[in-house]
Amino acid sequence: MLPRLMRFADVLVGERGEGTGLLSRALHCMLAEQYRYQVGTALDVWAFGEIYRTWLHELRGHPNPVAQAKIADAGFEDLFYQEIDGYLDTPVVGFLSGLPAQQRLTLLLVYGEGFDHEDAGRVLDVGTDIIAARLVRVSAALADRLSARPPAPAAAIVETLYPEGLRG
Amino acid sequence: MTELSDELLVAYVDGQLARKQTRAVEKVFDQDDIIAARVEALKQAHNRLEAAFEAILAGEEMDVSAVSVPVQESSLSERSILKVALAGVGIAVALGLAAVGYGWPLSFPGLNSGTQGVMLPVQTAPLSTDWQEEAARAHALLSRASVEVGVESQSNPDFVAFQLSQILGTNLKIPNLEPQGFRFVRAQALRSGGAPLTQILYLGATGAPLALYAKKGEGSGTLTEKHYGEIGTVAWAEDGVAYLLAGEAEDSLLMRIATKIKLEPAPPLRSAPKAQTPVNGALDR
Repeated sequence: MLPRLMRFADVLVGERGEGTGLLSRALHCMLAEQYRYQVGTALDVWAFGEIYRTWLHELRGHPNPVAQAKIADAGFEDLFYQEIDGYLDTPVVGFLSGLPAQQRLTLLLVYGEGFDHEDAGRVLDVGTDIIAARLVRVSAALADRLSARPPAPAAAIVETLYPEGLRG
Repeated sequence: MTELSDELLVAYVDGQLARKQTRAVEKVFDQDDIIAARVEALKQAHNRLEAAFEAILAGEEMDVSAVSVPVQESSLSERSILKVALAGVGIAVALGLAAVGYGWPLSFPGLNSGTQGVMLPVQTAPLSTDWQEEAARAHALLSRASVEVGVESQSNPDFVAFQLSQILGTNLKIPNLEPQGFRFVRAQALRSGGAPLTQILYLGATGAPLALYAKKGEGSGTLTEKHYGEIGTVAWAEDGVAYLLAGEAEDSLLMRIATKIKLEPAPPLRSAPKAQTPVNGALDR
């Protein structure tokens, strides 16, 4: 379970060092406040929720929470294991790093963890309709980006404007 | 063109629709190229997101695995110490909550002893020292199919993959480990608990063989290390197949190879390789 918790924290803050620190603080809180754990709750759902709440609590105490929530592309790229052929899905990585944390976590919980919408909603403290709406919005945006044709080079455009038959 | 909203198509791609709705959507995109292209784009987005999150998890598993390998005190970086501490606290939290939830009788030795003594343990199971018992246990793994997979077919990886998939009743990965220094030698079908078990054997430049075992079944998708005497193993399950990588290689190498295999895409559905007949030969030419 520890690698899954680490992934959650890292994806949340967008960088491994910060993620490790957040997870460490959240685990200490969980240990100190384990009486709040309700029997019957899935341990992973509860633990992910606690990490998210710790991050939110710390963010609210920050003078500029919006700037604080933004992540750096370089640190985020380092999260992806690239040993196999050094492959990095750059368009997807770039897309994920540009998303707000809540949307990134929604994708992680549903597509990475295989949670249903209810459990994902429990972790992020939102309803299933919000989870579904986020998935549609983000999936559609990524599908658009991945299927977009690259812009035509300038030379090709000039060639279309002045076809052979019309040149002096 | 029929209008289908992205809401419906995303729910279709995510498998959230009822069977009846699924059939209705499939009927529409069978007849509408634009909808079919949109579904394909959404599926690709879904698959690439899954692969991206899997790649992050693989990195975290490597990190945790690295923490479990004993290191010299002097070589501990600040980050290593933090991770070791984190691992200890994580385990304590998990065990503590399990104790609260399930009433396990637990104590936490070493929890208050600082970071130095806290390691993620690799489980070790004792190996039998009685060779007759070992031989009998190994013999129990043999089945008729072990002998029926002809040695002459081993030179054709597609044929081996097809035969093993048929025996197992599902598709399985037969990875190429040459970049990791292990060449495929042979594969065979065994049995365990009355069910088929496949064994794919590889040899490195030196040392004992490395084997990838596969058995139909579910299990945890997390890579889990365990030792049986000198034999190190990494186990995981994916797509209805439980895998076990076993060998006498270093733990970190086994974990790296297991991670590579796990991250490989699932094999396509296998069909029988074409028999070499004069007609097939002429058609191929």
